[in-house]
Amino acid sequence: MIGYLIRRIPSAVLVLFATSVLAFVLPRLAPGDPATALAGPEATTVEIDAIRADLGLDRPLLTQYLDWLGHALRGDFATSYVTGRPVVDLIADRAGSTVQLAVLAGALMVVLGLGLGLAAGAVGRGRVRTGIDVLCTVLLAMPAFLSGLLLVLLLGIAVPILPVSGEVSLLDDPEIGIQYLILPALALALPQAAAVGRLLRSAMDQARREEYVRTAVAKGVPARQIVVRHVLRNSLSSSLVTLGIRFGEILGGAIVVEAVFARSGLGELAVTSVYQRDYVVLQALTLIAVGIAVLTQLLTEIGLAALDPRIRLGATT
Amino acid sequence: MSTGSTARTGSTAQGSTPNGRGYRGALRRPRGIVGAAVLVVLVAAALLVPLFTAGYDAQSTDTFAAPGWEHPFGTDELGRDIAVRTLYGLRVDLVLLSAGVLAAMVVGTLLGAAGALSRTAGLALQRVLDIVQGFPSLILGMVIALLLGPGIGALTVSIAIFSLPGFARLARAGLLAQERRDYVLAAQTLGISRWRVLVRHIIPNTIDPIIVHTAIAMVVAIFLETGLSVVGLGIQPPEPSLGSLLNSGVRFLSLSPAYVLGPALALLLLALSFTLLSDALNEEVLAK
Repeated sequence: MIGYLIRRIPSAVLVLFATSVLAFVLPRLAPGDPATALAGPEATTVEIDAIRADLGLDRPLLTQYLDWLGHALRGDFATSYVTGRPVVDLIADRAGSTVQLAVLAGALMVVLGLGLGLAAGAVGRGRVRTGIDVLCTVLLAMPAFLSGLLLVLLLGIAVPILPVSGEVSLLDDPEIGIQYLILPALALALPQAAAVGRLLRSAMDQARREEYVRTAVAKGVPARQIVVRHVLRNSLSSSLVTLGIRFGEILGGAIVVEAVFARSGLGELAVTSVYQRDYVVLQALTLIAVGIAVLTQLLTEIGLAALDPRIRLGATT
Repeated sequence: MSTGSTARTGSTAQGSTPNGRGYRGALRRPRGIVGAAVLVVLVAAALLVPLFTAGYDAQSTDTFAAPGWEHPFGTDELGRDIAVRTLYGLRVDLVLLSAGVLAAMVVGTLLGAAGALSRTAGLALQRVLDIVQGFPSLILGMVIALLLGPGIGALTVSIAIFSLPGFARLARAGLLAQERRDYVLAAQTLGISRWRVLVRHIIPNTIDPIIVHTAIAMVVAIFLETGLSVVGLGIQPPEPSLGSLLNSGVRFLSLSPAYVLGPALALLLLALSFTLLSDALNEEVLAK
């Protein structure tokens, strides 16, 4: 197990390092100079140069990068050019909103996805199964913000039972907070749950055709026990792999869903930072997003290796 | 990424095998028929819309009209017909998506082939693709929007870069798998030239998964365009695209809830048609 982990780590570190370089360099290639923008339209060249020196932008790129990386590794992402506040504070202010949204959406995805897959996969054919298949296909053709818009039209405007815009933190008032959270979380969870459900269903279909299932049937094992002990158990690993990827999709989808529901989370911060060319903020957010993606991937692989000794012992490339 | 996993499981089938009935077979499946029919209707409507209407900027005094006979999806803040604007938006989307995905397919396949021919290039390619795929699609789109300025150019580049790894991996894996097949050895033993083996046998057997993958790449590209445009970093209003129309629709959501229906329906149908086509192609062309 540990040997397996050690083999996986270099490539994860490489991805993170390359991302840090890209996150640092790319925004600097963009047109527009933050020093000029900060100085205002009437500033002289001397004043602009002074601001540039103040921001440390006059140093060689490599020095700037190492300095930035060194601070970033210690959790310090410099100061926003536009607001003048430390980027860490900006992110800390918004993180709570996004974390609440992502956690609830992730939980809904697991419950709904496994539920849908199990309901369809436990039976060989029938109306329930066809219904779930159609539902999953339609949901898969929807980005999260579209399912969000439809939920708003349905539960916010046609039958107004839930608030559609704004937010209240769960920590301040759990009862009101959850009402603001349900629609966006459900919007994020539904398309991903459909993907999980569909994968689990087809894995269960495949497992049902295996010979050990036929043996179990021949032995007279009750149908329910066959589904739970043999079919489901051998189908879960592929769903587990996809859960990791799907959680990454939830985080990406949150950027747009936050805009639709007027929540001020990290996604909204990222969008604003692009508008304002505040690239220090975007750098930090990119690094965090990729970091989470790499970590999720690694956790998924660990989970998978724990389940399946063939992977752990290095049978795959 | 929505159904990327199905496409990937399909790709392990190593090219077409006798059981699948190929592309014609896909069009005989219910999913294939519905998908193709919806796509044909959408493309025809998008192509023909200029013949029947006075352009997407025809304003009227009838603002925020509810859907009805005259305006099937109502009118917007300037009294423009939303159905007409949606079809013009669809034109923009179809061009943009095809350009982005096609570029990814060509460049990705070439890179993948290079990666299959040389071991070093292959390893380097894998690492680069890992890095590209490490970026969530919208973050990548935002960085590119910041670099190039939001618009059609930035979107096409984002789509191309984001879709590239899928094609490159398929091409590399396909070529490597074919190389070890018995028929390649047999052809070589018979003295058939390497080039002829490549063109007549290896390429036709590798190209199927790549063509099938195009359908799912289109879905991902649609999500990327609309997602970026909804947050205002894609196509900028007043230029219509499905995403920019949804962006305006979200702004007027409480004032005129029907605004989003037209572009939302077009987006859903477009994505659905490609999802269904992808399912049918996976089952028929890549059948084990």
